[in-house]
Amino acid sequence: MMWRDVGVTLILSLILPVVAQGARHTPPGKPKLTSCRSPDKETFTCWWEAGSDGGRPTTYSLFYHKENSETVYECPDYHTAGANSCFFNKNETSIWVNYNITVVATNALGNNFSDPVDVDVVYIVQPHTPENVTVGVLEDEDGPFLRVSWEPPRKADTRSGWITLIYELRVKLEEAEEWEEHRAGQQKMFNIFSLHSGGVYMVQVRCKPDHGFWSEWSTASYVKVPDYIPRERSMWILIAVFSAFIFLILTWIITLNRSSVKHCLLPPVPGPKIKGFDQQLLKKGKPEEVFNSLVVQSFPPRSTDYEDLLVEYLEVYVNEKQELMPEGKDLRDVGCLKSKSQSDNDSGRGSCDSHTLLMEKCGGVESKDESSYEEPELLQGQAGSWERLERGDSQVVDTPDSSDARVKTWPLVFSPSIHGSSDNHHYGTLEMPKQHSTSEITYSVPDHLFPTSTSFPHHHHPEYRDSLGEYSEYRHSRSPSTGVLYHWEAQHHPQAHSNFNIRNLERQKEATGLGLPPSRSMEYVEVQKVNQENQLVLKPLSSHGRGPSQVQFGRAVVDYSKVNGVNNDNVLLLQRQREMAEAGQYCDYREKEGAEAERYPTQQQGKTTKDGPVATQLQESTCLTTSGYVDTVPTMPTF
Amino acid sequence: MMQAILVVCVCVCVCVYSVMQSVVWAVLLWPCLVSLGVPLECKDEQGSIILCASISKEKLLDRVIQHAELIYRVSEESCTLFEEMFVPFPMRSQRNQAGYTCATKAFPIPGSKSEIQQISDKWLLHSVLILVQSWIEPLVYLQTTLDRYDDAPDTLLKKTKWVSEKLLSLEQGVVVLIRKMLDDDMLTNSYYEQGVAPYALQPEVLESVLRDYTLLSCFKKDAHKMETFLKLLKCRQTDKYSCFLH
Repeated sequence: MMWRDVGVTLILSLILPVVAQGARHTPPGKPKLTSCRSPDKETFTCWWEAGSDGGRPTTYSLFYHKENSETVYECPDYHTAGANSCFFNKNETSIWVNYNITVVATNALGNNFSDPVDVDVVYIVQPHTPENVTVGVLEDEDGPFLRVSWEPPRKADTRSGWITLIYELRVKLEEAEEWEEHRAGQQKMFNIFSLHSGGVYMVQVRCKPDHGFWSEWSTASYVKVPDYIPRERSMWILIAVFSAFIFLILTWIITLNRSSVKHCLLPPVPGPKIKGFDQQLLKKGKPEEVFNSLVVQSFPPRSTDYEDLLVEYLEVYVNEKQELMPEGKDLRDVGCLKSKSQSDNDSGRGSCDSHTLLMEKCGGVESKDESSYEEPELLQGQAGSWERLERGDSQVVDTPDSSDARVKTWPLVFSPSIHGSSDNHHYGTLEMPKQHSTSEITYSVPDHLFPTSTSFPHHHHPEYRDSLGEYSEYRHSRSPSTGVLYHWEAQHHPQAHSNFNIRNLERQKEATGLGLPPSRSMEYVEVQKVNQENQLVLKPLSSHGRGPSQVQFGRAVVDYSKVNGVNNDNVLLLQRQREMAEAGQYCDYREKEGAEAERYPTQQQGKTTKDGPVATQLQESTCLTTSGYVDTVPTMPTF
Repeated sequence: MMQAILVVCVCVCVCVYSVMQSVVWAVLLWPCLVSLGVPLECKDEQGSIILCASISKEKLLDRVIQHAELIYRVSEESCTLFEEMFVPFPMRSQRNQAGYTCATKAFPIPGSKSEIQQISDKWLLHSVLILVQSWIEPLVYLQTTLDRYDDAPDTLLKKTKWVSEKLLSLEQGVVVLIRKMLDDDMLTNSYYEQGVAPYALQPEVLESVLRDYTLLSCFKKDAHKMETFLKLLKCRQTDKYSCFLH
């Protein structure tokens, strides 16, 4: 019984697997097409994988049909491509046609169909790898480089254009990890630059049709790069960067100090500045306003303003030496009378107004009276009497030949200190005519006052005329009988320059013995105005009640001629200094003169006051040469 | 002041760069400009060089091939774009699979290399011409349908537009080529007379998406056909003997 149980168990255990094994026979599992590939677009191969075989030997078969056709074909070649594959040769391959492929697994118990797959050969092309990959090292001026060349896979017909392949290669150093890939297009050669010197490179190539898959990488080709020294471009780059940096810094510094740099390089040009000129107005574009500001309202002086322009008085200085001149000489000394005006600082006035105007007459070229002119030697030193109406400054070119003394004396003559109390002096501007005026100032002066030789150099006279043109000719008419008359005529200038015409005293006084004692007394005559006949209206200062303007002559080097008075014809009577020797005569003369020269020209409508002649003053001073001088009054006397 | 200097420098640099670039372009394009302006030299029968106003056969063929290549590439890109945008995943066909069938042509198109090698140049050219002409209208139709899509990408529309334009010029080129190579003037009208029914699709494909997708795919395939035919033709022109060796 127990033996029987064990036997049954054994038998069962032996039979069951057999029975079971017999029971595993099933129809095969489902195969699956894995891939189909064509290497050349002319043939293709499909591979499948088998499912479970169901315990029985299973056969696989592949069936296909082309699109638009229901005819089913079986795979022509199962062996060429290996197990579980189907190879389609050229004759059976149609491109641009869809293949519907199915694999069937068959065993004794049944069969199983795989899922159909549609294949178009064109799209499953995967060529073989490129062949004959060669890598060489070539030299260039920049260093060595690699040249890789290859050939298309043998099977791909690229020559006829059936397949167009594009290539790709990759390269890396042997010890590197990352590949460097390059597309080579359709060319079969490629250059690689920028190599590490002494390195070993690996190169691989693959290809692909324009509508298919990439091939496998070719086997690696090794190449060793020889050692070389690469050109250092980085150094130049560093230098360039550094210099650019420095340039930027310099630019920054310059911009910080741009004002001083600009000042240094382009120094500012001083522009012209006109007093009273408003540039802003000019910019606004109104020239009338601009120029209006420059206009001095009182210019040009109108005729009604003549009175304002008169010289109040004239100071005339008579040189002592002139007394010594012989009477016989027909002299008409040139009296260069200069009235000095200290008044104006105008910048636009007519020259006749300005103090720079030189009124000097040295020889009357146009004068009616011929006068002989003599050298001014006598004027040297303090001797010599001369009158001059000086207009201020050094435009007195008049006597280049003048002695130094005379030159020196001129400022002395007109310096206020000489006259002492300058307050009592009235200065007026004598308005002189302009060019080529033949103004003649004649003063009646005793002849003896004027040495004939002390005539102002007549030869300068024309020069004066020509050079300055702004002077009055002073003619010293010297007659023994009468005093020397200074005929001072000033031509009338159309531009409202009044002509001063101080006519000769009609009576000519002999200039004999007119030498006044060399006194330095000076007196001022005040020019009141110019009458309508263009004559100076003068009056002694003392008559103005401004106090005696007797000048202390002590200091004067030069004697001035004193204005004796003005006669009826509005001629200035001047007295000349005498020497002490002839003082008596002079005194007499003076008295005489004084008697005569009583009148003042009072033609003026103004308030000309008749004062006692200067001579009266002279008489007061006994036989002292009185010297008065004509001086211009800077201020305008108001009447 | 600093900004002014910088701005001035930048302007100067830009000006200089643009000037240089234009100069460079002028230099580079100079041969092209020259070649465009000057008529090509042709050799007539006597071998003397005459100035002819037309292009040589080889150059024309090269240009036609370039056209075909470009057309294929663009059509492939369009197909991929469309597939990604509109075709649901299960129905997408891989490149090696095709879930559709294209309309057959009335004209038999050679289907294998051996077949192609057996046909003459003339038939090659004519095949190309038929292909080209058969697709002119469908592409226009495709453009109109694509415009109806809500979110069709601009690139897709541009590409299809470009393709249809290029196809026309390809047709012109092939016609000229036929005239030149084959001295055949008889081909003025298209062989392809199927005309209207733009693309007789399978009736079961009703969805417009699938229909358009099929259209694009089929066109892509035909573009590749054109390209291949033309390249084969070129080989035959240069070296007839070696082309058949393979």
